[in-house]
Amino acid sequence: MSGAPGRGPLLAGAEAKACCATAYESDAARWLLGDVLHPGGRDLTLRAASVAGLAAGERALDIASGAGVTACLLAAEAGVDAVGVDYGREAVARARRRADAAGLAARVSFVQGDAEALPLADAGFDFAICECSMCTFPDKEAAASEMARVLRPGGRLAITDMTARFEDLPEALRNAASQVACVADALPLDGYVALLEQAGLRVTATEDHSDALRSMIDRAEARLRAARIIGGALALGEYADKIELGIELSRSALAEVAAGRLGYSLLVAERA
Amino acid sequence: MTLPETTTSICPDCRVPVPAEVAERDGRVVMRKTCAEHGDFESLVYGDARRYEEIQKHSKPGSRPLALQTEEVEGCPTDCGICPAHEQHSCLGIIEVNTACNLDCPICFAESGTGPAHGSDGGFSLTLEQVERMLDVFVEAEGEPESIQFSGGEPSIHKDILPMLAAARERGIKLVMLNTNGIRLARDKRFAPALAELGVHVYLQFDGFKDSTQMAIRGRLLQREKQAALDACAAAGVSVSLAAAVERGVNDDEVGAIVRFGVEHPAVNGVFVQPVTHAGRFLDFDPLERLTNVEAIRAICDQLPEWFREDDFVAVPCCAPTCRSATYALYDGEDLVPLPRLVDVEDYLDYVTNRAVPDLEVRAALEGLFSASAAGGTGPTGERLECVACGVGLPPELQEVAAMGFMVVVQDFQDPYTLDVRKLRKCCVSEITPDGRLIPFCAYNSVGYREQVRAGLVAGARQ
Repeated sequence: MSGAPGRGPLLAGAEAKACCATAYESDAARWLLGDVLHPGGRDLTLRAASVAGLAAGERALDIASGAGVTACLLAAEAGVDAVGVDYGREAVARARRRADAAGLAARVSFVQGDAEALPLADAGFDFAICECSMCTFPDKEAAASEMARVLRPGGRLAITDMTARFEDLPEALRNAASQVACVADALPLDGYVALLEQAGLRVTATEDHSDALRSMIDRAEARLRAARIIGGALALGEYADKIELGIELSRSALAEVAAGRLGYSLLVAERA
Repeated sequence: MTLPETTTSICPDCRVPVPAEVAERDGRVVMRKTCAEHGDFESLVYGDARRYEEIQKHSKPGSRPLALQTEEVEGCPTDCGICPAHEQHSCLGIIEVNTACNLDCPICFAESGTGPAHGSDGGFSLTLEQVERMLDVFVEAEGEPESIQFSGGEPSIHKDILPMLAAARERGIKLVMLNTNGIRLARDKRFAPALAELGVHVYLQFDGFKDSTQMAIRGRLLQREKQAALDACAAAGVSVSLAAAVERGVNDDEVGAIVRFGVEHPAVNGVFVQPVTHAGRFLDFDPLERLTNVEAIRAICDQLPEWFREDDFVAVPCCAPTCRSATYALYDGEDLVPLPRLVDVEDYLDYVTNRAVPDLEVRAALEGLFSASAAGGTGPTGERLECVACGVGLPPELQEVAAMGFMVVVQDFQDPYTLDVRKLRKCCVSEITPDGRLIPFCAYNSVGYREQVRAGLVAGARQ
């Protein structure tokens, strides 16, 4: 845990990882957030690749690859060979189907694995990207070390993630539910910088993208309210009774973004 | 940047086509033109230059009608219509059945009214046979027309209005609307049930609540009649759209209240906010301070901040993107959610072009949003529309949701001050004339077609 004192009853490591992966695999999450499960969507992914100087022909790794959107996008738009790693088996299967459907199976592959212990060889990648996921990893130091390990010397890492100072967040955002939603276990920007530097990565650029976060939460909030109105017409399953909580959390998060206490940043770092 | 642009407009005095420039000024978009005889004219055409540029990408290729009625001879806008240069079919046809009215509104682009000048001595009243032929022309041009609106004059006082509406239903037109001031609906208890039986949607003039608004726009206090008409529609099961003519300084402070009233009234499932068309009869106005869709949308959002914000309104790609913006919202009696917030509007537009996105939520969000012919949750909802440029249907799983849907449309019609032939060629609202033409609505009001058609009918009746 990237533990600040007084953190409260967050889920323990393995439980949290499984919980995150399951939640993001669910139809409910996809309905709320769409297929691109991180703020900024495809535009921010391509921006991150561009700031990191990703070039055609390079080997790219997407950590917490979800439904495979980013790996496929980088292969299609940046002309790279891409590997995606995700903790969720369903997500890996879905991502493979996406790559197949897009005719990218020869250049894009997916493996199931833990970001804190990547099932990949040392120094095998020119570029790695991790979108809105570092904040959900219980052992962030281990994850950062793994990212550094799989990059070749001179390889670049792009992270986009939530920024927050845990102790500044309101009570409602500090519980396990919001850990899944990437809020409560986020770090301030200098926290991510320190984390990466500690792992042997030199941060070369940071950019603020809090507007993208605001848009994403705003959409989730609207979709939750729509779900409350439509009710039975949507198959929200076990999430049906969590709509009110979701709306509350979304609004609380929007207020934090407006106040500048919650944000979204892009960091690019290079392995020495 | 597309601005500045060149186009063709008309002289507001003599209606002769003149070259025009559309350019940015102080962050807004202004049309400038010069008539050799009548001098220089400037008019605001869009209130936000940045947004003007941005929504041009919403411009999608149109689909041609199945039949054309005129040849290209002198060029746009003098060959209507529809001539081979037109770039869109007609989502909505309008038939004006008379010039007689039971009101003498100070604002009336159709120059209708009471008295013999609009009846036996200077006006016209179409016969059922004429209307049937006009409907046939529309069906020939459209195949399966999306929607028709009966207008006037005041169509509800035409003795054959019910058979005319029935004739439109018989031809399979999906949405049949009656554009009315509501007086007959308020007074004739049999009228709303008769419309219900025919499945007719009422398009009710509804400009605001202030006495000053009603006096300025309609010349009479009509709030009691409007309320009675709406309650009669609710009782009979007739769905209603409210149509507000909005003029700066008259009722632009009431658009929020009109939308709120519509959202909350059980009969109403849509509100059309329309900056006043400065053709026919209108109040004194400053062409550089007229309302465009931008000001109308901002007024709605400023007055209903708890419900709407500017990016909830999507520039409709069917016609020119500056002509119509719309939003579609879900409402359950407490909360209201504009559907564009649920989806990426860019995916939206791709969907309209490609019709290939399977996601339920996208289809639900799109329902009715992009077509001039859609009126709230009525008519075409639940069917697969054939209209390629604007057609979307609601999947069966979500059809019950349509009852919770509410549409707000902001529509800036062109007039002699703002007419731009590029927009005109993309127009999807057509006046159907008794001589079998389909004339784009804004050309009909601006270029002189209305006057010609009326004069021809009056002369014909005198022979």
